[in-house]
Amino acid sequence: MELEKELLSLKNNAVSLILDAKTPEELEELKLQFVGRSGSLTKLLKELPKVPENERREIGQLANEVKTVIEEALERALEQTTKHRQAERLLTLKQQIDVTEPGNTPPLGHLHPVTEAIEEITEIFSHIGFTRVRYPEIEWDWYAFEALNFPKNHPARDDWETFFIREAPHATYGPMLLTPHTSSGQIREMLKAEMPIRMLNIAKTYRRQSDVSHVAMFHQFETLVVDEKISIADLKGTLDYFVKSYFGADRKTRIRPYHFQFTEPSFEVDITCGACLGKGRLPDGQECKLCKEGWLELGGAGMVHPNVLKNSGVDPDKYSGFASGFGVERVATVKNGLEDIRDIYSTRLSFLEQF
Amino acid sequence: MNIQILDSWLKEYLKTEAPAKKIAEALSLTSVSVERVEKWKNDHLYDIEITTNRPDLASVVGLAREAGAVLAEFDIKAEFIPPKLPLPQKPSGQKVPLTIINDSSLVNRITAVVLDVSVRKSPALIQDRLEATGIRSLNNIIDITNYVMRTIGHPTHVFDYDRLGGTSLKIRESKRGETIITLDGKQHSLPGGDIVAENENDEIVDLIGIMGLANSVVTDETKRIVFFIDNNEPHHIRKTSMALGIRTEAAQLNEKQIDPELALEALLYGISLYLEFADGKVVSDIIDIYPNQPKTKTVSVSEKQVQATIGAPVSLSEAAEILRRLGFPVGVSGEVLRAEVPSFRSADIGIPEDLIEEIARVYGYHNIPSRLPQATTLRAYNPEDSIFYWEKRAKEMLKYWGFTEVYTYSMVPEEIYEGRIESALALANPLSSDMAYMRRTLVPSLLAVMRENKQREDMRLFEIANIYEKQTGDLPRHLLRLGGLMAAPQINFQDGKGIIEQLARDFGIRQLQFVPLSAGGIGASVILEEQNCGNIEVFSDSVLDFELDFELLAKHATTRKAYQKVSKYPPIVEDIALKVPEDTSYEAIVSVIQRQSPLIRHLSLLDRYGDTRTFHLEYQSDEKNLTTEEVTAIREKIFQSLRSQLHIFPKK
Repeated sequence: MELEKELLSLKNNAVSLILDAKTPEELEELKLQFVGRSGSLTKLLKELPKVPENERREIGQLANEVKTVIEEALERALEQTTKHRQAERLLTLKQQIDVTEPGNTPPLGHLHPVTEAIEEITEIFSHIGFTRVRYPEIEWDWYAFEALNFPKNHPARDDWETFFIREAPHATYGPMLLTPHTSSGQIREMLKAEMPIRMLNIAKTYRRQSDVSHVAMFHQFETLVVDEKISIADLKGTLDYFVKSYFGADRKTRIRPYHFQFTEPSFEVDITCGACLGKGRLPDGQECKLCKEGWLELGGAGMVHPNVLKNSGVDPDKYSGFASGFGVERVATVKNGLEDIRDIYSTRLSFLEQF
Repeated sequence: MNIQILDSWLKEYLKTEAPAKKIAEALSLTSVSVERVEKWKNDHLYDIEITTNRPDLASVVGLAREAGAVLAEFDIKAEFIPPKLPLPQKPSGQKVPLTIINDSSLVNRITAVVLDVSVRKSPALIQDRLEATGIRSLNNIIDITNYVMRTIGHPTHVFDYDRLGGTSLKIRESKRGETIITLDGKQHSLPGGDIVAENENDEIVDLIGIMGLANSVVTDETKRIVFFIDNNEPHHIRKTSMALGIRTEAAQLNEKQIDPELALEALLYGISLYLEFADGKVVSDIIDIYPNQPKTKTVSVSEKQVQATIGAPVSLSEAAEILRRLGFPVGVSGEVLRAEVPSFRSADIGIPEDLIEEIARVYGYHNIPSRLPQATTLRAYNPEDSIFYWEKRAKEMLKYWGFTEVYTYSMVPEEIYEGRIESALALANPLSSDMAYMRRTLVPSLLAVMRENKQREDMRLFEIANIYEKQTGDLPRHLLRLGGLMAAPQINFQDGKGIIEQLARDFGIRQLQFVPLSAGGIGASVILEEQNCGNIEVFSDSVLDFELDFELLAKHATTRKAYQKVSKYPPIVEDIALKVPEDTSYEAIVSVIQRQSPLIRHLSLLDRYGDTRTFHLEYQSDEKNLTTEEVTAIREKIFQSLRSQLHIFPKK
């Protein structure tokens, strides 16, 4: 029974060493020492065949028990020491973290304020069924003026207001120019003859100008709705919807008489000023410098002129329509409080990175 | 154009108790935009924007008439009091001669008279009103011309009769190169085709409708004047005024086609002022040459049309009442209204829609309901087919990779135009040589932005915009391009290529190829299904740029995903290091490796160092767990093929 004693003493020895162990590494060592390939228990088990046959079964059982006990003890202790170690590590980590230090950020660039505005405008109008299009920037006079009911001698058609391209004029469509407004897209849209129309045309436009409120290249967004029974009421509703969506539910809209060649009646669209909230005076009693008597001009609109419908192959007796044309930069500056529209075309990164 | 008018002046012709603020608001909503009302001494000053179609409102009398018509809509009592225009007494004694020879293709109407006057300061009332309206007071003779213009709305002119060089004036078109000295002392060379008046000695004495000349201007010594009112053909005025850069108020009014009926009113009103404030005495006949009297026209509109356009139940009698107040004689029969257009609106009103505008604005746009257009036919919308969808997606992607978007001008200077300048699309009338040509590429503009920000070492820029390609006999092609620029102390080709590859991957494009630039430059052309899709160019160690055909990318982009079933069996993963001869391309190695077994499911370049390339491989089967023996066999096959085909050896 020599082996039995040795097994029991090995068990006691192993278990007490395991209980004393403090680290997972010590336990790994003990595992090797006792139950590893050349561990002491493994060695003892090799003695088993030498045991007389009548005792072998009993000893065998004992040996298995000892192995199980040691392995379980190892496993429990390993779990405990590992937990302990993790707790210690977390504690150190906690001491090392300065939550006020800046984070490691992924790269983040900037979209241009004009793009931001265009995306927002597109989304707002697509909600009420307008489809975005884009028509030529370099255009024939016919689409930019003639078909839009501009008289031959209209000032907008002269060299001081519109950029012309040094190319031969078209036999039918006249001189080549940089379109001064997205309204040329009205003609192209109607000529497609897909009724009814709910167009949102956003494109680059060009005028021969440069001052605080004008740049030579800018963007416009043009709506055009042509259908049976379209009235001023429909235009008012669409403008109200856009203004409340883009500028906020507290902003009011009004339309005033104005004059454009391609609409009749024509309107100027105003919204209440965001700085003085439509009062025309600031809380300190000072006159508001941003607006005119509480109102800001936003852009033009009107009912499509019957000559424009006719020129575009649309029957004015059956269809009517409205159109509006606003500057993208204009609405973006009004919304963001930029005072000089030329700022928006600054290519200084220190400016662009604020958007 | 904007004009400023004092409230007290307006109320000389408008009888009402309404305060200035109220009048301004009513006019803004229904007629003409009053941009501001300011306190002016004990008075109020209106600042009014006049639209080009309403020159009749650029006057105190015109505004009073309009205000009288619209204030009633706001339940405000108001009555228009027309100016009193007495006919002057016939001159007693010897009449002073004056002959005017007109050209009716240039001037519609001329009214004129000769007066004896004394030059002195204007009375305070005229001085104050002119000052408030933004016109400098000079002396009574000149001030009265301006005062009449502002009151009646027709520009007027005055000559010193004794400096005219004779007793007759002839209207003619100028010849190119004729020189004049305007009354401000500036010399101008005329472009030709300008309306001028010349005297008996063939000397030009007036630049008609725009500005008087130094040789005939009134001085302190003036004793006799010609008070002269010319109603001109507007396009001539516009052309001359713009070409010479003389933008006087007279020019701005005359180019808008002023009602010729006002020419006589202005004359009579002016005479009454000269009598009162300049010891004036009429010493000639009153001349009135009126070859182009406009015909009266009548416009009709039906109730149905009025209501359909306005979207509110405006009755025909309501409409007729509005038009009458605006000065239109109106007749109603059944469902149709017929309105006669008054002379002061004849240039502006011609079709039913014009009448509807008059009715609607006075009815009040604020009284019209607001509603969205009714739902219309459903049309399918698939984002995949919309270039705008892909544009937005690309822009956002680039933003999150640290790119900043710029907008640069489509017009570029010659220095950064790419291509032969002789065949460029050039502006005929550029504002400056900095914006003279329509660009053919985006990258030069991005490089210019980089130079502008030269204090930055690190930057990533992009722009999506059209470039323009000339076509004979048609509009140029507008090609949407994505341009990018990357600058950093150390940057290489792969940094740029990676951006394009990743963008293509997100677009669902798998067939992008990169081939070395054929002509000059370091970099590659990007090929998409055998079409050129742009290029990447290494500018220096620290700058690279790319420009891509965005329409082609969007055309091949898809929202559909190429999905493959994930194998149930785990992959076996390994890295292999290879010693690679200098001129062997990555692509050649990959194609040899990939050919060796369908079980190679993934292959990527892990590291590049000297002549060593480390590849990461994954072997995987859909049917079973692979054994070490099977993987070893494939690996041996790979090494053998690399050795025999490319002289590449595994690194020890």
